[in-house]
Amino acid sequence: MSVVEVRQAAKTYLMGQIKVTALKGVDLTVEGGEFMALAGPSGSGKTTLLNLIGGFEKPTSGSVRVKGTDLAATSADALASLRARQMGFVFQNFNLLPVLTALENVEYPLLLSDKFSASRHRDLARQALERVGLSGHLLHRPMEMSGGQRQRVAIARAIVVEPDIILADEPTANLDHTTGEEILRLMKDINRVSKTTFIFSTHDQKIMDMADRVVRLLDGAFVEGA
Amino acid sequence: MMTLTIAIRNIFRHRTRTLITLFTIAFGCVAIIFVHGFFEDALREMRDSYIKAITGHLQVCKRGAFDKGFARPLDYIIDAPKDIISLIEKTPGVRVTSSRLVFSGLMSTGENSVSFLGQGVEPQKEQSVICRSSEDFIKLMRDRSFDKPDVGGVTIESGDSLEAKDTYSAILGKGLAKNLDIKPGDSIVLLTNTVGGSINAVDAKAKGIFYTGAKAFDDIALRVPLSTAQTLLRTEGVNNIVVRLFKTEDTQRVKELLEKAFKVHSWDLEIRTWDEMSDFYTKTKMLFYQQLFILEFVMTVVVLLSIFSTMNMAVLERTSEIGTIMALGTKRRGVIKLFMYEGLVLGIIGGLLGMGAGWVVIKMVSTIGIPMPPAPGMTFNWISQPDAPAKTYVLVFFLSVVAGLVSSIFPAYKASRLEIATALRGNA
Ligand SMILES: Nc1ncnc2c1ncn2[C@@H]1O[C@H](COP(=O)(O)OP(=O)(O)OP(=O)(O)O)[C@@H](O)[C@H]1O
Ligand SMILES: [Mg+2]
Repeated sequence: MSVVEVRQAAKTYLMGQIKVTALKGVDLTVEGGEFMALAGPSGSGKTTLLNLIGGFEKPTSGSVRVKGTDLAATSADALASLRARQMGFVFQNFNLLPVLTALENVEYPLLLSDKFSASRHRDLARQALERVGLSGHLLHRPMEMSGGQRQRVAIARAIVVEPDIILADEPTANLDHTTGEEILRLMKDINRVSKTTFIFSTHDQKIMDMADRVVRLLDGAFVEGA
Repeated sequence: MMTLTIAIRNIFRHRTRTLITLFTIAFGCVAIIFVHGFFEDALREMRDSYIKAITGHLQVCKRGAFDKGFARPLDYIIDAPKDIISLIEKTPGVRVTSSRLVFSGLMSTGENSVSFLGQGVEPQKEQSVICRSSEDFIKLMRDRSFDKPDVGGVTIESGDSLEAKDTYSAILGKGLAKNLDIKPGDSIVLLTNTVGGSINAVDAKAKGIFYTGAKAFDDIALRVPLSTAQTLLRTEGVNNIVVRLFKTEDTQRVKELLEKAFKVHSWDLEIRTWDEMSDFYTKTKMLFYQQLFILEFVMTVVVLLSIFSTMNMAVLERTSEIGTIMALGTKRRGVIKLFMYEGLVLGIIGGLLGMGAGWVVIKMVSTIGIPMPPAPGMTFNWISQPDAPAKTYVLVFFLSVVAGLVSSIFPAYKASRLEIATALRGNA
């Protein structure tokens, strides 16, 4: 079974009286273990598509299935559970909780999913941070870390629940090239070892080149790779 | 647990804002505690001054006298009061008694006459409490231990007070004296019915002018030694035994003890407590508590709005964080819980600070004391030493916590209804 199945998904926004079409009815199938880049210029609909797959919003028409579950037919609470158990997220702005330490940030999603017993949470979080090379920064707050370190914490937070799929919206856009490539190599490594499916968006050619598959969006439609 | 940790840390993210909110809560608490303490003290002041100056804690009369005897005091005379008085004075909790013979009559200076309410009193028993000045009176009023037997304490404004050896002397209430323009040393004639029904009159000397806490009383009252009153009325009896206790709180207990004892002796007597004799206290208490309720209400609303504005700002500022935790799988309930915890913690900390600050303020103010104008219906100044009961501290804490919870309901709900995509984009 495919991990993600997008069928004729369209999304239009209403800005006052004007209709903005962000996605024009796209089809996309992503298989388990893929390492896929979503490319396209600004405004092409990358974030919109990732939001639909993450269940953050519903398509205006068409359907999105994740591991067979039709997201449009799922309640908000059930979507939350699905995300907590089976999805990880990485954001352009890292989006760590500023009041929590690195370790607590990574522990947070464990509390939302019932996959692991509470007694293991601390250890799992520590292991995840070790995996991204931050065992020396467990008690640092986000404000005390560099952009690259913060994104590593975010990746640790995404992998700690051992999800089937990780969605990353421009994970390198706020980092310099070297750091961005390091982050991508880390993601690739996790993909190779744990068989976690990755879908990430970018408009950086070098980053795209590291992907196994590149899907290109333009004005809300696929022009390549779908 | 993590939610509580996040809530507490979020609160201290904006130190200044949090401090202002906590200060507002604490200020509300202090205001309620202080005013409550102040009212309690004013009420106690009023109660005690009534008891000391006018009613005593208990009064013993012949049955029916309280209801019907005011107009015809002579029909309700306790003929042989001696045994009764000694029984009362042996009862635990009783400090002292003093007997009175109440009568009415006409007072005349020659040209003019005016009716009066007369009290034959025992100067040797009431002597120690008849104060020379209002400072003495305040000192007496502040003496909460009731060390001194001060039944029927009055303050002498001019002239001298009654003494044990006095016979044909009288002291006059301020208003009554003014009515006939009587000064200390003037001669007056007191005219009244005797117990037997005939008419009797005595010449007496106006020895002094007094006032009590109650103006209405001062306008009609005069006092003569009990023996003079008994001579005037041609009786050995009294019609009123005023009982003073060590502690006001003992009133009901002593009343019941005495009622039992009277029954044993088949004495046909009736007992009234100070609060039964004057509903002034109960009414004023109600008035005070109504005002207090309004204050509590206003303060709670102020605190509520303050926490509300803080929480509302927190939701706006943290839009992208809310989007993030919901994206990670936090349910709407979880978001509500997070913000409700914040409100709750603010309420708890603010309430604790308020209780502490309120206690300190009360202690400080009561050590210094606030000079106060006369309480309603009173004619003397007093010094307020506010003291709030424990239940007030519990109340303000409870109000703070409730305000914290209630005021965060709407912001929390608003946060939980954010669209994840919108909330996340809000940050980008
Ligand atoms: N909430 C919204 N309301 C109105 N229009 C929106 C909204 N969200 C996105 N859009 C529009 O939809 C289109 C696609 O936006 P989207 O954010 O998906 O592009 P993107 O490819 O992620 O761009 P970028 O590279 O700049 O992040 C854009 O034209 C955008 O203005
Ligand atoms: Mg985007």
